[in-house]
Amino acid sequence: MSLAARWALAAWVAGVAACAAVVARTEVRTDMSAFLPRSPSAAEQVLVEQLREGVVSRLILVGVEGDGPGRLAEISKRLAAALRASDRFASVNNGEDGGFEKDRDFLWRNRYLLSPAVAAGRFTAQGLRETLEEGLRELASPAGVLVQRTLPADPGGEFLHLLEQLTPQARPRLHAGVWFSRDGRRALLVAQTRAAGADVDAQERALAEIRAAFGQASAGSEARLTATGPGVFSVTARERIRSDAWRLGFIATVVISAMLLALYRSVRVLGLGVLPVASGALAGVAAVSLAFGSVHGITLAFGVTLIGEGADYAIYLFTQNAPGAQPQSTFERLWPTLRLGVLTSVLGFSAMLFSNFAGLAQLGLFSVVGLVVAALVTRWVLPALLPRGFVVAAVAPFAPKVMALVHAAPRLRYPLFVLIALALAVLLLHPRALWSGSLATLSPVSPAEQALDRELRQELGAPDVRYLAVVQARDEQAVLEAAERVAAALRESIARGWLQGFDSPVLYLPSQATQRERQAALPAADALRPALLTALKGLPYRADAFEPFVRDVSAARSMPLITHASLQGTSLELRLDALLVRRASGWAAMLPLRGVTDLEAIAASVGRIDQGRAMLLDLKLQSEQLYRGYLREAVAYAALGAIAIVVLLLASLRSPRRVLDVLAPLAAAVLATCALLVLAGAELSIFHLVGLLLVVAVGSNYSLFFDPALSGYDRSRTIVSLVFAAVSTLVGFGVLAFSKLAVLSGIGSTVALGAALALAFSAILSRPVEKEAAHARAA
Amino acid sequence: MTTGPSFALRCALLGLALAAAGIPPAQAQGGLELAQLMQELRAVKAARGRFVERKYLAILSTPLESSGTLVYTAPGRLEKHMLSPRKESLILDGDTLLVERRDGQRRFALQEHPVVWAFAESIRSTLAGDLDTLNRFYQVTLEGDAGRWRLRLKPTEPRMRNIAAEIVLSGSGAWVGAIEIEEAGGDRSVMTITRDAA
Repeated sequence: MSLAARWALAAWVAGVAACAAVVARTEVRTDMSAFLPRSPSAAEQVLVEQLREGVVSRLILVGVEGDGPGRLAEISKRLAAALRASDRFASVNNGEDGGFEKDRDFLWRNRYLLSPAVAAGRFTAQGLRETLEEGLRELASPAGVLVQRTLPADPGGEFLHLLEQLTPQARPRLHAGVWFSRDGRRALLVAQTRAAGADVDAQERALAEIRAAFGQASAGSEARLTATGPGVFSVTARERIRSDAWRLGFIATVVISAMLLALYRSVRVLGLGVLPVASGALAGVAAVSLAFGSVHGITLAFGVTLIGEGADYAIYLFTQNAPGAQPQSTFERLWPTLRLGVLTSVLGFSAMLFSNFAGLAQLGLFSVVGLVVAALVTRWVLPALLPRGFVVAAVAPFAPKVMALVHAAPRLRYPLFVLIALALAVLLLHPRALWSGSLATLSPVSPAEQALDRELRQELGAPDVRYLAVVQARDEQAVLEAAERVAAALRESIARGWLQGFDSPVLYLPSQATQRERQAALPAADALRPALLTALKGLPYRADAFEPFVRDVSAARSMPLITHASLQGTSLELRLDALLVRRASGWAAMLPLRGVTDLEAIAASVGRIDQGRAMLLDLKLQSEQLYRGYLREAVAYAALGAIAIVVLLLASLRSPRRVLDVLAPLAAAVLATCALLVLAGAELSIFHLVGLLLVVAVGSNYSLFFDPALSGYDRSRTIVSLVFAAVSTLVGFGVLAFSKLAVLSGIGSTVALGAALALAFSAILSRPVEKEAAHARAA
Repeated sequence: MTTGPSFALRCALLGLALAAAGIPPAQAQGGLELAQLMQELRAVKAARGRFVERKYLAILSTPLESSGTLVYTAPGRLEKHMLSPRKESLILDGDTLLVERRDGQRRFALQEHPVVWAFAESIRSTLAGDLDTLNRFYQVTLEGDAGRWRLRLKPTEPRMRNIAAEIVLSGSGAWVGAIEIEEAGGDRSVMTITRDAA
């Protein structure tokens, strides 16, 4: 081993160690933040926060079915008891009374501070008269039994109005004391995890705990458990991607290894082939981690795909090593072409570095660093480690057949032109299929599971928040006061028929100012009593019937104001925590809307509050927009990368004609691949785009090596190495195409198809080599 | 009563006669047997009446009066339309209760409101002659004879006992003429029902 090779080896080992040290401390994030622009708008930030850790993201909806209703109810009770004992869950609700007594108690005690109806006019003789007359009519009504008991202390019915306001619109039906589905076949339960929905590990543990508790609760029964919710979705998605990626990855690895082993006949060489990509990935992660502080899961997944080109480098080196040649010299011969290929890819990806989206910038950095390192390892490290005299013997038998095909290929030139014209026509006819894929189509969650989620959600009346009014302020009181102004605007919107209803934190915790205002509106006992006597005149009530009312009103005048702590232990506390959140900078109040019919009108009226500090969010639309923005920018930067590649090739090949020769097969392959995918019914998504980028990266090597001036003296050996590389790409990614998951099948089908077409088109569009042409003429 | 009590009685007698062919009736001394009353009531498929209800409440110095119509359709539908002092309806059908008021309507699932459910069944199950359901909520005793009977219902469920001490339905033949509710707090209401001429 030469001194230079020793130094290279030592540098590589040190580099790997350093990168490993960085990677070991790297945090991998899996939330939507990759799709978030670097300087997000307030709305975008709220959206991502909600998706990450909003209360809706923490709900796990559970159904128990498959046994008699009596048994199901028992299981539900035992399951709920077990989960309530766990500290993973903030709340567990299955319809059993539980915290409801506390809720009633809280509402009853604080009714005069909570009720929006409390105002000065209500306690004058005139106001009381109206209240008492209405009370009489209530007593006479069939529902009189309900008010009879509370009337002496609460003639205005503040308590009943509060109860009504807080009761969700749709509640599941009760059977044997627990919630059941409408058809009575499924017992229902909602658990809210303490951990954020985006914390997939914690969600996985919570789900495992539910399953274990169910196993014990349902011992001896046929009952089955169904669970759904955002957390469950992310857990299943991760499991599924993991298991599919592992399973398909394993199959691909076995097939490719078997193939390469048959070619190389050396396990050591097979192992060496992995080094460039593995080193590149390690360096890529380390670089992103150092530059961004964390690595996003999407960067990792896409990045490893993008530097898949690195796997080809080893194949080129090993296969092109001619009998009797030194690996080092083989590579020195190969290097100029490969360097151009690497530069092409690096330049193509580097445009993404400047993206406004952190996710894309990470991806750009990862692939640039990854590819450069993979190339350097191939150039400096692999030759030194390759066994002396290593030759791929299988090249000799393959070469004649491959070369015969290559010679025949240019005959398909004209059919290819027709094919490209057709592909263009297909793409022009289906403009909507291009880069319009929505987030939903990318979801690894099956439609059946989404349907189950909708069903459980409907039966439970669980929030499926889509529209949200959000207001932010620097402290708790300021945000509550702002929320009161938003609530007033929303009440007006209800009156105008723009929406059916809304939930609000100030229903449970009015601002101190409002509470004080209500206290000020309450009269003292010696003012209330005479007014009450005047009001009672001529009504059939006993004179002393409303003493409890006088007592409670005067007590409320000086009772301590409601604070967050007053709600402790009630189920209302949970609802409040969902709607009133402390953020990095100040506080935010959220008011989820129900039954929205005129979003724009509501948005306009909410937008006028506090100089536009209140806003109306459509979470679904916002997340779609975020994703589209990301996708749009990815496409734009890919196009920018393409222009950079043209400039690079012009500068290094110094011939527009040769540049055209190199690029034409690539452009044709990209067009044909897109057209075939669209014809197969795919909506092109970010995954397809990443696949196409890889096609351009590996394809550029194919077309460069086909260039007679660059293919080197052993053209047949070079072209056979291309075939080996392309077949391994085809197998590796072709296997992924069979995945049911949009992520994997999108990338898999694009790359497999694209790589195969890029090689075929390179052959078809290649110019006959002068020497060969001369030979052919001579013969 | 659209289907006459005489018809119902005939059916009941026929049933009795058939039963008596084997075993002598247990209660032969002129008293009315619960099963017999239930059977008579069960035979009534539809009924319509006017009601006047008086509530005697502790907070009121004079009783509160309301009136309206009652419509029963076997086996599970009972409508109570209050016409005075204001219009308001309760419609009990199957396991839901629909309340219609000036300010809109609300539907309740009986299973979710055990107390409302118990109240509803005291009347509906009596009209339907459904002793099994009555027994689920009440301890049932019968006094008097076919011409003038009193069905006394004592709630068994504690939550219901907190509200109503006893419900007494009285009538003659297959007609329920009065419903008295004795509340736990000492309040009381009496509803008298007369056949609707219409």
